[in-house]
Amino acid sequence: MNWAIEVNNLNVWYGDKHVIKNVSFKVPKNIIFAVMGPSGCGKSTLLRAMNRLLELNPYARVEGQVKINGIDVYSDNVDITWVRRQFGMVFQIPNPFPHLSIYENVALGPKLNGLVKDRSELDELVKQALQQAYLWDEVKNDLKKPASMLSGGQQQRLCIARALALKPKIILMDEPTANLDPVASSKIEELMLELKEEYTIIIVTHNPQQAARISDYVAFLYMGELIEIGETSMVFTRPRNALTEKYVVGRMG
Amino acid sequence: MLGVISSLAIISAIPIFAIIINIYSEGARHLTLNFLIDLPPPPVSGKSGGIGPALVGSLILTLLAVAIGGSIGFFTGLYLSEFSHTRLAHYTQIFLQIMVEFPTIIIGLFAYMVLVAPLKRFNALAGAFALSIVIIPYIALNVREAYRSIPYTLKEAAFSLGVSAPIAYLRILLSTARRGVLTALLIGMAKAAGETAPLLLTILGTTFTYFGGLDQPINAIPLLIYNFALSPYERWHQVAWGAAAVLLTITLMIFIISRLVVREVKV
Repeated sequence: MNWAIEVNNLNVWYGDKHVIKNVSFKVPKNIIFAVMGPSGCGKSTLLRAMNRLLELNPYARVEGQVKINGIDVYSDNVDITWVRRQFGMVFQIPNPFPHLSIYENVALGPKLNGLVKDRSELDELVKQALQQAYLWDEVKNDLKKPASMLSGGQQQRLCIARALALKPKIILMDEPTANLDPVASSKIEELMLELKEEYTIIIVTHNPQQAARISDYVAFLYMGELIEIGETSMVFTRPRNALTEKYVVGRMG
Repeated sequence: MLGVISSLAIISAIPIFAIIINIYSEGARHLTLNFLIDLPPPPVSGKSGGIGPALVGSLILTLLAVAIGGSIGFFTGLYLSEFSHTRLAHYTQIFLQIMVEFPTIIIGLFAYMVLVAPLKRFNALAGAFALSIVIIPYIALNVREAYRSIPYTLKEAAFSLGVSAPIAYLRILLSTARRGVLTALLIGMAKAAGETAPLLLTILGTTFTYFGGLDQPINAIPLLIYNFALSPYERWHQVAWGAAAVLLTITLMIFIISRLVVREVKV
């Protein structure tokens, strides 16, 4: 089978602290893969180890393999900027560039990476990305206005558009709804279901209900260890591990 | 007790008002366009004159110093902010903090040895060089603060776009930190425009020529004030007062601009 991403024996340390412990899993294409677990279990770290964003932290050290299309992102001859472009990333706090306009927020990535030939191609790409993120109709007349004028939910969809504009293969989402109200959250969840037709989505969440609602496959991470992984319906109805069971029925934060 | 503290606070503010009132009451009447562009008057004739060469010199020296010290200081500050965990950053920071306190006459002496003595001539470049060294720590430490103030989540957003570090820092994050960086450059500019000691041993101070090249002597407003105020001629004393008013105005303008820039940040 052709996997979207394969993680083999991944270990991460912050200084002396071992935060991801020998984690391995494979994610099929065009699904939503959720990584759930209590706060501080290493979910966000795991996500950042995949697109090597973790290397912004000088104290982080990674061992193991992360393969996309068979290419290990940690092998010596792989360019880190190429790795990051394979992933679109959406963060816990909506983080559009506040001083840039709505248009520029989406256009920046393609422009800086030379993905487009001219302005009209860029316009088209920005429009497409905003449409895919269900934001176009709300902002099409305000493209020049600063991104900071949007609501929290709109800002998060703008960040999704920014990620999509890079034409990534995989979308990484780090608790994308943790700071949104229920209405805005459900919009993002609907959007994710739409996006998996075209992309593979890996979402990190501390909320097992969310994982149950939207994911096809789910992994349970606890204190840096992968406790259980499988089809979401199986993990939630017949968990094999007692810890997983405790977590999915809500007896563990 | 509170009364004592409040009055001390008021007393500490008195000098600045006293200085402003004093300088403008003596110098304000010289603030005309001709004063800014004309040559200084001969010491004893009846003609009025100006500070043209010194103003031109100050502009050239300040801009050069900001260009040289600004680029070095900017990248140093960026390094200090983004590589703060390295030993090099740790020690650089300590050196910069020492440099802030460094007697600027020593820096002038150093510039004399490096750029004046070998060329056997006082020259503009040596002055700009000395001023650059003076302002580097101010710019570096302020740029460091500007980059440090960028939220981590925006840094992640920038790098997640798959761009190289130079592009992330200079094309994306610089505009987030632009006001802090601009303030840093303005502080450096005010410092460079007002410093006298580094110029004493480097540029000599021409009186009657505007600009003869970077390898030639040049004048600057602070140096003109120093030289003219010490001269025995009443006419030159007046020019010194006028020059002081010009210098004070420039400094206050830079200060006001930098305050406006900072205020905009908080909105």
